[in-house]
Amino acid sequence: MGDATSRLRQEAEQTPSYGGRGVRDTTEDFTSASSQLQSGQLVKDEFFTLFEAVGALEIMDPKMDSGYVAPGDTFDAEFDPASGLDMTEVLWIMDQLLCLEISWHDGYPLSQTVFTSLHIDRLLSPDQENRDPTFYRLARPPSNLSETQSLGHQILRAYCIGLIKCCNLALLLIQSQNYYEEEDFVTHLFGRELLPQVKGDQASWILQEAQKRLGEASGISQDVRRALDDRLKFRSEYLNTLVEDGSNRWEDMKSSMDSIQSSHDLARPVTDAFSEKVQRQLATSTPPRPMLQISWDLACRKWMDLCQDVVLAHRLTEFSISSSPACLQRAVWAFAYRGEPCALARALLQDLLFNNGGVRGELSHYDLLLTDIRDLVLAGDPLTDPESFQVEVTSDPRHICSRLIEGFMDKAIDEYLNLYRMVCQNRCRIRRTFTQAIPILDALESEAQQVDAKLSAAASSLKIQKKKTGRIVTLEPLTSWTKFYKLRIMTWAVQLGFETEIYLPDELGKMYWYLMQLSRQRSQLIGDIDEYTSLRKQHTQEKNTAAECLTAIQWYQSLYDYATITTLLSLALWKLYTLLAHTNIIIPPKRDFAKSQLLYEARMKPFLSVVNDSVPRHQDFEDAGLQTDSIESTCKDIDGSLKAAKSLLAGLKKLTPEQGRFVGTEDEWKKEIKQLETTCVAIAVATSQLLMASGKYGQDKLEGVMECRPEKRYHDWWVVPMLKEKTAITK
Amino acid sequence: MSAISNPTGTPAQASAYLTSFLNNTLHIHISDGRMFVGQLKCTDNERNIILAMTHEHRQPSQRDIRLAAEKHEQSGGSGNVKVDMKKRFVGLVVVPGKYIEKIEVEG
Repeated sequence: MGDATSRLRQEAEQTPSYGGRGVRDTTEDFTSASSQLQSGQLVKDEFFTLFEAVGALEIMDPKMDSGYVAPGDTFDAEFDPASGLDMTEVLWIMDQLLCLEISWHDGYPLSQTVFTSLHIDRLLSPDQENRDPTFYRLARPPSNLSETQSLGHQILRAYCIGLIKCCNLALLLIQSQNYYEEEDFVTHLFGRELLPQVKGDQASWILQEAQKRLGEASGISQDVRRALDDRLKFRSEYLNTLVEDGSNRWEDMKSSMDSIQSSHDLARPVTDAFSEKVQRQLATSTPPRPMLQISWDLACRKWMDLCQDVVLAHRLTEFSISSSPACLQRAVWAFAYRGEPCALARALLQDLLFNNGGVRGELSHYDLLLTDIRDLVLAGDPLTDPESFQVEVTSDPRHICSRLIEGFMDKAIDEYLNLYRMVCQNRCRIRRTFTQAIPILDALESEAQQVDAKLSAAASSLKIQKKKTGRIVTLEPLTSWTKFYKLRIMTWAVQLGFETEIYLPDELGKMYWYLMQLSRQRSQLIGDIDEYTSLRKQHTQEKNTAAECLTAIQWYQSLYDYATITTLLSLALWKLYTLLAHTNIIIPPKRDFAKSQLLYEARMKPFLSVVNDSVPRHQDFEDAGLQTDSIESTCKDIDGSLKAAKSLLAGLKKLTPEQGRFVGTEDEWKKEIKQLETTCVAIAVATSQLLMASGKYGQDKLEGVMECRPEKRYHDWWVVPMLKEKTAITK
Repeated sequence: MSAISNPTGTPAQASAYLTSFLNNTLHIHISDGRMFVGQLKCTDNERNIILAMTHEHRQPSQRDIRLAAEKHEQSGGSGNVKVDMKKRFVGLVVVPGKYIEKIEVEG
């Protein structure tokens, strides 16, 4: 390592050369020296690994060398952006740019999309005057352009500058929020700048001027004029909404997109105006990539989806929803489950939620957190009364408690906001970041215990003596609050695991068993909170307090019922999968090196660090996989839990949005209940098929006669096996 | 950096000679006219060369030269005009030995 390290040190001590130093020709010596090496012998630095070497692009290989020009091919594309165009051709280029732009939003790099436009390329070319770029290489336009062609250029140039600015602002917005590079979006600019000298309102003015001149011009048919105007209008709306940051023109954009879509057939193709050859001039350390092709209808659909997602993001963050943290959390999940929103929509939602220290800049994050704590554990309790926080007398218990709560909130605020922020990411990342948050929340819970101890010394409201029995019941509010969210994300982590298919068929039974454990722990906690709140309601004289407790209790009941439904469904699927393993319908794959202890540690890794709740041991999982009762008896248990689940679901259906805290996500609530009901039916069907087969063949091992087909999911989180009798082999 | 003389003595000397170039900046000219400037990371007996932090340099085309001349005239300049080579960053590359026409080292 001595040589390599000293080389590295020498290099660090040198000043960078930028190619300015003189060079010495060593061709002969180098060539002769290398020919003396043995075949296969490499001369390389120890720090340079073969792993890195494999990533090197091979020059002169057309598949890897983006600068390679095949014999007979030209370096530049032939098409000259300064050449005159018909209005119908201008139309087509604008539409093609729309297709490429939405593909960029979909996650494809600029080098395969927007940058393949020769007009855009000309405007962004480094030798342009950044302040006032044009399609013309020389200072003035060519003399052979007609008036209409000149107008065509003005329109196309305005559109392109608007587009470049939209990309610039969209990019800044996405980068200002949380996203995952290359998973969600590619931010690479390939050494180009997006017209930094042209400001947003200047681009807006350029678009307006073009629209004005279009309106005044003669010799253009009505249809084409209207089509061009619609596109300039859409571009203006999109640009202005990104520039102004507060306005919401996305509904307008939807209607503009509608008319744009229908006028596409007026356009005349100019495919030469786009070329992959632009990649030869871009700074890129990747191989050449094909230009993206996307159909017009698909592109319009994606634009509509984007606009709709953003409109929804605005609706979901309105005060009527954000005033209740529970409703707001449901709202963010509803957004996440609208297909997979593109990076820009996600960034805009995050911007609405997190910019300026509050939701929509109005509801501060601290208020959101305090409301959440009040709603969940301290409904009707004077501890979270805003007036208590104003008391300045330092010996007053209200002052003491307020400072304690504030201190806790300071510690909790980041992880709390992550509950919203992480749900704005792609599905796999939601699961992964939840698993990372588990130990953090567990540590926060330990801290909460200490704060609660101090609080109960100062606050009398955290102890109630039951009238009948005289038993004293206490509340540890902050501990309960933290544990609630910790158990919730543990549950979600497992359920998202089902959704993202990380468990193999032979693991499903045990993971549903673990889900059942988690769900039971949640129910226990909710029950405790509910009990205390009921006592608070009983013991208060204040009407307001009683009313607040009542609405809280209604909500706790719905939470409790939902957790119970999760418990019952998990139990059903656990028992069913255990039966399927027992009857050899699901057989674990051969695992030569994996021991079950190792598998347990791998699967349970995110949960094992938790200290404030019991985590099942390896032996518990093994025991959960044993089939002890008869098939009939187990099937009866499954049916029993399904029946109970269905009855609870029927109860949930009757709740109002205020009772269940699903204001703003009423449709999603109904839809989920329906999906869960269908899941119950599907599990019942599978169970009865299994029972029937066992009866028919009178045996315990059914691998020869039953098979488990890929499952159908009525709800992403519930994997119901589909059973079928194996068809007899004829002939 | 390469103070070793008589590079083509023994294979061991040849290896030492080449080793002395590691991490130095080389200018590699290839058969299609491009030049690659980067840090030498690896080479073998076929003279394949891996360069890191590489920039690709390309001679200006006829069109570029004509355009530069026209712009120079328009802005009232006289005499000859200087046209730079086009340059772009390409990262980690391997230049196959068979295309190499000239190897220069900086410093």
